[in-house]
Amino acid sequence: MDNQTILVCKNIVKKFGPVNALNGVDFEVRRGEIRGLIGENGSGKSTLTSIMAGMQKATSGSMEYKGKVWNPDTMAYAQEQGVCMILQEAATIKGCTVAENIYAGRMSEFSRFGIISVRKMIKNAQELLDSFGIKNIKASDVVDRYSFEDRKMIEIVRAMSSEPEILIVDETTTALSFDARELFYGLIKKLTEKNKAVIFISHDMNEILEHCTDLTVLRDGDIIGHLNREEMNLPGAPEKIRFMMVGREIGDAYYRSDFDPSHENEIALEFENVSVGKIKDFSLKLHKGEIIGLGGLSGCGMRLIGRAAFGQEKLNGGKVMRNGNVIDSPLTAIRNGIGYISKDRDTEALILSASISENITLPSLDSLSEHTFIDPRKEKALVKKEVERYLIKCNSPRQTVSTLSGGNKQKVSFAKWTAKDSDVLIMDCPTRGVDIGVKQSMYAFIAQMKKDGKAILLISEELSELIGMADKILILKDFAVSKEFLRSADLSETDIIGYMI
Amino acid sequence: MEGIKKDKNMQNSFGKVMAYMKSHISDVAAYAGLILCVTVFSVTSGGRLWSSYNISVLLESVCVYMIVALGALFVYSMGYMDISVGSQMGVYCLLIILIVNATGSLILAFAVVLALTLLCGAFNGFVAVWLKLPSIVTSLFLMFVFGGLQMLIIESTGQNSISVNLSLSIMLEPWFILISIVIVAAVVFYFFNFTKLGKYTKSIGANELATAQCGVNTTKWKVIAYMVFGVCVAIGTMFLLARTGSAGKSTGSSYAMDVMLSLILGGMPLSGGMKSKVRSAIIGSFTYALLSNGLIISGVDINMVYIIKAAVFFIVVAISCREKGVFLPR
Repeated sequence: MDNQTILVCKNIVKKFGPVNALNGVDFEVRRGEIRGLIGENGSGKSTLTSIMAGMQKATSGSMEYKGKVWNPDTMAYAQEQGVCMILQEAATIKGCTVAENIYAGRMSEFSRFGIISVRKMIKNAQELLDSFGIKNIKASDVVDRYSFEDRKMIEIVRAMSSEPEILIVDETTTALSFDARELFYGLIKKLTEKNKAVIFISHDMNEILEHCTDLTVLRDGDIIGHLNREEMNLPGAPEKIRFMMVGREIGDAYYRSDFDPSHENEIALEFENVSVGKIKDFSLKLHKGEIIGLGGLSGCGMRLIGRAAFGQEKLNGGKVMRNGNVIDSPLTAIRNGIGYISKDRDTEALILSASISENITLPSLDSLSEHTFIDPRKEKALVKKEVERYLIKCNSPRQTVSTLSGGNKQKVSFAKWTAKDSDVLIMDCPTRGVDIGVKQSMYAFIAQMKKDGKAILLISEELSELIGMADKILILKDFAVSKEFLRSADLSETDIIGYMI
Repeated sequence: MEGIKKDKNMQNSFGKVMAYMKSHISDVAAYAGLILCVTVFSVTSGGRLWSSYNISVLLESVCVYMIVALGALFVYSMGYMDISVGSQMGVYCLLIILIVNATGSLILAFAVVLALTLLCGAFNGFVAVWLKLPSIVTSLFLMFVFGGLQMLIIESTGQNSISVNLSLSIMLEPWFILISIVIVAAVVFYFFNFTKLGKYTKSIGANELATAQCGVNTTKWKVIAYMVFGVCVAIGTMFLLARTGSAGKSTGSSYAMDVMLSLILGGMPLSGGMKSKVRSAIIGSFTYALLSNGLIISGVDINMVYIIKAAVFFIVVAISCREKGVFLPR
């Protein structure tokens, strides 16, 4: 394979005020490679790639693309020139058809005398979708009809159809369903066969190890090292990479160390023949000191069960019970000691414009209030305890949550419920978008909660997390439980995966 | 050597001040606006601004703006609004006059008005949630209803305006006004900063979904916030009537917008949320009252006053609302 260089970054520095996001990074992209970029949140992966793709400018340093100076002003220009980036967040245009989205900015290809042939555009778009093997999306439909995952696929098709020289993928796969992921891996493989390059940002170690040809590890704005394919195949590679990312030994104590699935006999939360959405007749008993994991592909209904447990969904039948009380609203849930950590951290779990203190105390205000009066000293004491418990990195509890890193934000959403002293916790993807260091401490907190007799419903898309943490795992498929597993040291992802698909 | 160090320190603290100014731009703009108004009008009015007569006139107008704006704070901090207060206040003035003239009881009149404001508050809060309407729609509806009522009542009297047969001059004594606004401001300050009401309304304004997930019955607190606003509207109406002594077709009509402008001048983001502060209502109503009063005593043509107000308003908004995100209420 021809290994010629396509893009070179020299001594790239990026400053955000006093903070250095990148301190003089040298980076090369070669044809035919799938270059993995891995690092903790804030290590500079997204900053580096967004500079390449014209989203922002470097503070200093230079770039060369196809032998010429590269200094793109906008993403549109970069895309035109063949450097295309797919972002973490959805970027389809609402209210437009799939075809219009795919050809956004390039509609002149279908115009004659200023009139765009919609029919031709839709036909072309449909052919494109078909050629990628995407069967469930129709080019003439309005994008709003499709789920987040499908819209992500439409974005990928849009990026692919412009035939980029370099495709940058920023943590897109976490949003994709299992089938779509496989499809996507196939697509980027095809790109490399055509001698193009792919830069692949992900938090998912397995994914990186499986699909990348090269790997670059970043930490605190510096490149720590590179691994080639052979090095990635070595046993012990994941440990080595983790060490490079965090800068210290993570150790074995990542997940729970015990394999004892025992728990107390008292029932903490019970689903009695619950029917909600497409889920029919779901029953479950969650005991004190027990962690029950719910797994499956996204869209299998596991999130719905979590929402129902917190009284956020209207049930079509059955009931959710705790201590003899029916849980039918977040208010009754909280009054009965249930806490809920939403997957949508920034839109549901936290008030970004509020301070750490305001976020942590919000569920507890009801109990802090004495004859209408909420004592600021009590609030302060409560917040101090939680900030210390979770080691939330901040200048002061009055700091706005939006300024925190992903991991620290997630700590705040945990702290809300420990401050409230909730006995039942429903966690929907609690470690999503959180880096390894924080993840490890999250797992330690969850294990401690179990020891303290809390009941936990852990909903996760990561099988390794469920295997590592749960006493019992329920796998859902098409809105029904397809299999139950008990905690055991022998359980592996391959045992489970067949029941998901 | 030492000199350089000192210089650096100076630069550092200057940088800090600038950073503070930048992050508190709306507060800074609000204070600057008030100070600017005071200094400019002190000069242009040739000292008349500080005459004891003018100060008492100023106090009379400030107190209506401030009491209503303090109540409005709870509603606006949720990112909601109420544009019906103006016509509501017009009708309430007429009702108070009619009731007082018929029965002689001011307390009865106040009780009736208070009941009506609470009802309207509940309507605004509850119906908006129930029918999933933006709050502007329900308050528009109320604005038209009350506008119509005002016409009907005044037509039925057969006069252009009616006067109250009771002296309310005690309410215009400076000490009475001062005590009243201090009490209202203190009560609002307490409820806004130290109770669930204020904390919840700010949270609702910042992120309603997250607030609901913390077990807050958002509907209930919306209704309560609107009702608290109603109480302040009732009190403000009493002071308005004390000032005018009579009421006609257009009494009160400008107050909905006046209150909104006062809050904006005070640095309040109309999208509500965590940056809502009690001082916005206090500073804003002073600035707004000063603007109207100062321009007139400075001899500016009354027809120009609106244009100048518009220009000031535009400048303040342009400075204080440069932050990202939504500024307008829902």
